[in-house]
Amino acid sequence: MAATKSITIGHLYPDLLNLYGDRGNIACLLMRLKWRGIKADLMEFNTGDAIDITKVDIILLGGGSDREQKLVCESLLGVRAELKSYVEDGGVLIAVCGGYQLLGAYYQIGDDKIKGLELVDLHTIQKEGRLIGNIVLESDIVTMPVTGFENHGGRTYTGSDVKPFGQVLSGFGNNDDKKHEGIIYKNIIGTYLHGPLLPKNPQVADYLLSAALEKKYGLGELPKLDDTLEHEANDYIVKRFIK
Amino acid sequence: MFLRRFIAIIVAKIAYWASVKLFKRQGVTWAGKLALDICPSILKDLSSQIRNDIFIVCGTNGKTTTNNLLALGLEYEGYKIICNNTGSNMLNGVTAAFVLASDFRGRIDCDYACIEVDEASTRRILPHFTPDYMVLTNLFRDQLDRYGEIDITMEILREVLNACPNMKLIVNGDDALCAYLAAAENNEMITYGIPKQVGDSKEMNEIREGRFCKKCGAILNYSFYHYSQLGDYRCSACDFKRPFLDFTADEIESRDLDSGLSFYLREYPSHSGTTFSTGFRGLYNVYNILAAYSAIRTSGVCPSNFQNMLNSYKPNNGRMETFQIGEAKVTLNLAKNPAGFNQNIQAVMQDTKPKDIIIVINDNAQDGTDISWLWDVDFDRLSEVNANNIITSGIRYLDMGLRLKYVDIKAKPVREVRAAIDELLRAGSTNLYVLVNYTALYTTGQLLKAMTK
Repeated sequence: MAATKSITIGHLYPDLLNLYGDRGNIACLLMRLKWRGIKADLMEFNTGDAIDITKVDIILLGGGSDREQKLVCESLLGVRAELKSYVEDGGVLIAVCGGYQLLGAYYQIGDDKIKGLELVDLHTIQKEGRLIGNIVLESDIVTMPVTGFENHGGRTYTGSDVKPFGQVLSGFGNNDDKKHEGIIYKNIIGTYLHGPLLPKNPQVADYLLSAALEKKYGLGELPKLDDTLEHEANDYIVKRFIK
Repeated sequence: MFLRRFIAIIVAKIAYWASVKLFKRQGVTWAGKLALDICPSILKDLSSQIRNDIFIVCGTNGKTTTNNLLALGLEYEGYKIICNNTGSNMLNGVTAAFVLASDFRGRIDCDYACIEVDEASTRRILPHFTPDYMVLTNLFRDQLDRYGEIDITMEILREVLNACPNMKLIVNGDDALCAYLAAAENNEMITYGIPKQVGDSKEMNEIREGRFCKKCGAILNYSFYHYSQLGDYRCSACDFKRPFLDFTADEIESRDLDSGLSFYLREYPSHSGTTFSTGFRGLYNVYNILAAYSAIRTSGVCPSNFQNMLNSYKPNNGRMETFQIGEAKVTLNLAKNPAGFNQNIQAVMQDTKPKDIIIVINDNAQDGTDISWLWDVDFDRLSEVNANNIITSGIRYLDMGLRLKYVDIKAKPVREVRAAIDELLRAGSTNLYVLVNYTALYTTGQLLKAMTK
């Protein structure tokens, strides 16, 4: 009998980056593994913990306030090299909101420039007025529309080679252009969407799980789950905001 | 000027009367808006006539109950009070409270005003009057899309404290965020709190604010938590710690379900104290009572009838409000953020009898259009509350359904609240809890009231 598959999810700094229901993304990944009989483990790395990313298959970097984001970045820069090779090697990483901003070269707040992890070719500049509201995207990686909620003062600008996570159908997205939202680079998804993102977008959750299984076992196929409620909740937002 | 004020008052009163009597709506904010549109100085004019003091009550949770207890407490000492007791706490609602209490000539005959104020609205309200006292109950995560972040709320309050240097602060000393905010400004500060750990509080996986010292950024060490971040804290690096508490609640005993709780309220430096008992449940109500009492005492009034007031106080605004519908006892309770909801679940757990639960979640502007906070609530604990059926309802009933699905709790999504209640009552429910967020409160309350007839 084949050994049971297992996936470990690493949650970076839940003590600092835990705004906007990030726990929901973790719960969603864990449950969707469990329902499929795949062993699911969670490792939380809090401030001060040594971060060993060789043990994890999916990394989640969540959102926090500007002040907390700064603290996080300072400690993350210490493991930047490891993170860089994890990502370049096809490691799966989902970064939401503040975590998304940290992927880039810098996040500029007034005269203060917070150095980022430089994992993806992007940078963020905080501007007057926050971009807040429900948002709907069309993304190449899934067939369903992607729905969520965005709330950010930073405007993110991406390099020309960086693929967006999706095209904005309703809402703002990366910046005031209202065109693109988030990024996809190798097996990283960076996005402003919380709400949280994954429960209402089960295909995105499965995209991450599948990529992680593919990398670990060479086989990313996932058994289907009953996602009726997920589809209904997603569809409600689409119908409400796409006229 | 006089004419303008006269017209404003007449129009507002008629508008209020019409919306309540004819359209069965709340009508308070509309009345306030009309009055301000017609006479922009009306709030200033009317509030300046308060004979003694103006209290405002701010903080994420407990504003309405604290403010109502404060107002009623003063009323029991024989004073005349203005109070925005419907919980309409933005500029229009506050204006309406004064306008509706004035006579047609724009005269107010009141000793005190007790006004709960939405934190973000303080900036718009306080130019109209300067309060003598501010009660600050707590700062939790709430409706992030409206405020940005908790830091922004603190910044707004800091500005207000700065702009009103003579306003005395009555703050919850168990909340590191409130205590820091108060201590950092020059306003005179009185504190209240629960000094010792209560019972064997089960370790909860709550999301807590204020893990870090606002003064120096180092980790705060807690010797215990009451709930959320409320507890006994001390900075690991600097001298910031829970301040000396001027008013304390000790010997907290929660008795069986229907008789509520009692505690010993002590006042420093005199050390004098009294035991109070109440029909309320939940530790958060100890804070509410303590806050109201501290505010009354700080203003120099001796609340000798405070226990009588507590005896007569019946929550009638969806704070554990009960309705008898046929054989069924239906309890309505408001919870609009993670801290409130966790406390709510705790209160439901104290009732060990079999029950059914409806959770109603809306995402209107006043609720906060971002409902991601649902995922910060420890809903997994609903598996321990002895619930036969759980229904999710309201505008975002599907999201609420998903929230429960991902902690493996079975729930049925039913969009309309009325249909959800009917379904469970028809199925023979005798003990039904309806947990609602803000904009669902009024309509659900009206619905339940109508069903008792």
